[in-house]
Amino acid sequence: MIRDELARLIKDGYNALGELEFAESSDGYLLYHSADRNSLPEARVHHSIEDARQIAKYDSSGTYRPLKGAPDLPRGWLIELTDIDALKRALDYFYPGAISTWLALQAGTAHPVCLRQTLNRQTGMYRVTRKLTDDQARNLVTEACRSDGRCLRTILWGIEENQPPDFLPSSKSDPTFDQTGQKRAALPFLCLEACNLLVATARTAVKNSPR
Amino acid sequence: MPNKSRSSLVLVGHGSTLNPDSSAPTFQHADEIVRRGRFAEVYCSFWKEEPSLREVLRMVEGDDIYVVPNFISEGYFTEIVIPRELELAGPVTHRSGKIIKYCEPVGNDPRMVDLLLHRARDVAPNVPPEETSLLIVGHGTSLNEKSAEAAQSQARAIREKGSYAEVSEAYMEEAPFIADWRKNTSQPNVVVVPFFIADGLHSYQDIPVLLGIESAPTAAASQQEVFRRNPYHLDGRALYYASAIGTEPLMADVILDTVDRFDRKHPYDPAA
Repeated sequence: MIRDELARLIKDGYNALGELEFAESSDGYLLYHSADRNSLPEARVHHSIEDARQIAKYDSSGTYRPLKGAPDLPRGWLIELTDIDALKRALDYFYPGAISTWLALQAGTAHPVCLRQTLNRQTGMYRVTRKLTDDQARNLVTEACRSDGRCLRTILWGIEENQPPDFLPSSKSDPTFDQTGQKRAALPFLCLEACNLLVATARTAVKNSPR
Repeated sequence: MPNKSRSSLVLVGHGSTLNPDSSAPTFQHADEIVRRGRFAEVYCSFWKEEPSLREVLRMVEGDDIYVVPNFISEGYFTEIVIPRELELAGPVTHRSGKIIKYCEPVGNDPRMVDLLLHRARDVAPNVPPEETSLLIVGHGTSLNEKSAEAAQSQARAIREKGSYAEVSEAYMEEAPFIADWRKNTSQPNVVVVPFFIADGLHSYQDIPVLLGIESAPTAAASQQEVFRRNPYHLDGRALYYASAIGTEPLMADVILDTVDRFDRKHPYDPAA
């Protein structure tokens, strides 16, 4: 079970994921924004797993966060969770599938999919994205996926098949690197394939290209 | 419904990168099904939100998986996008020791007609149906003709019941267009029910502009104090605009019925 693997990882010393940190408590687990680690007594306490979903939905200004990896989670909250299953489910609301994706990659049941393959299978309004040039693709990914301000996922796919994302800073494709730059014992939040937001951005780039 | 306590359920919604309310009904119905304890695990997945269709099956731990599209009709998404992204072989896919059962979209459920009528009565409780045009509004798209057919068949079924003076359908992206409701309806009262899953970008923000009850798209439903100030008096008519049919709490039952219908249509074959 994924929750058992998570428990093992916590025993191994992992205590962070993206902007989050978690800790064992006498009643289960605490989950909070890492920037609040020294001010937890002032945080608003939640007990429901579903509150995680609501917290992850808006940034501190109340603006909708469509990209879960964006480094703009609101602060000032603390979720008290009763057991490891609740922690796993809450983490999945903040960073969907982060733990299962990492485990699947290690087990060899999941593999990165290159950008070209993702774009070439698009249909409808996104079919046009297959016209994205390699140069456009490299610029787009470098800008739209960068960890400082855009997305905290670690990118494992390249533009073409069997190509590493060597156009990115090496830390951006290093699963052992804490993408927040804090050097914590962070569980990786991997990106195995371009998301729909990036595909939509690719569409805009192609549409705006000089003909 | 048969016991599914060893099975997993994946609800697939469209989601939105612009509107925070698009995914809300999918989560709402998933929460209700979790509360009832009918499945070992329940996950939501979205085309435009996370977890994406590409990652959700990695999250599922069981090996008997029902995938239910929380979509209002068969069409481009249920026939092309979802099967492609989940790499499905058809209604039943065997992969790595798992069996993935791809159900029909929730909008196909026979009880949608009753839900629409319930919604229409709810939004305009004191309005006599014999002086009312009921307008079922859908998306409609040139990408797939089934999108419009769904709203059409609901309107036809309600028309056959004969309770409303007039029942018609209208679409955002194909004729008859929603913006033409004034000439396509004849009664002093017009009740408009969106045949949509969520009070998202289309049904909450775009369609009110097409109807003329808003001059420009408003903020999202969840960011408004009042949902709607029905009725709207336009050109001597009273127009009532309901929230999307997919937000109806009974949709959790529709999802469970959809799984049940899949099992009846595709009985277990131990030789498969």
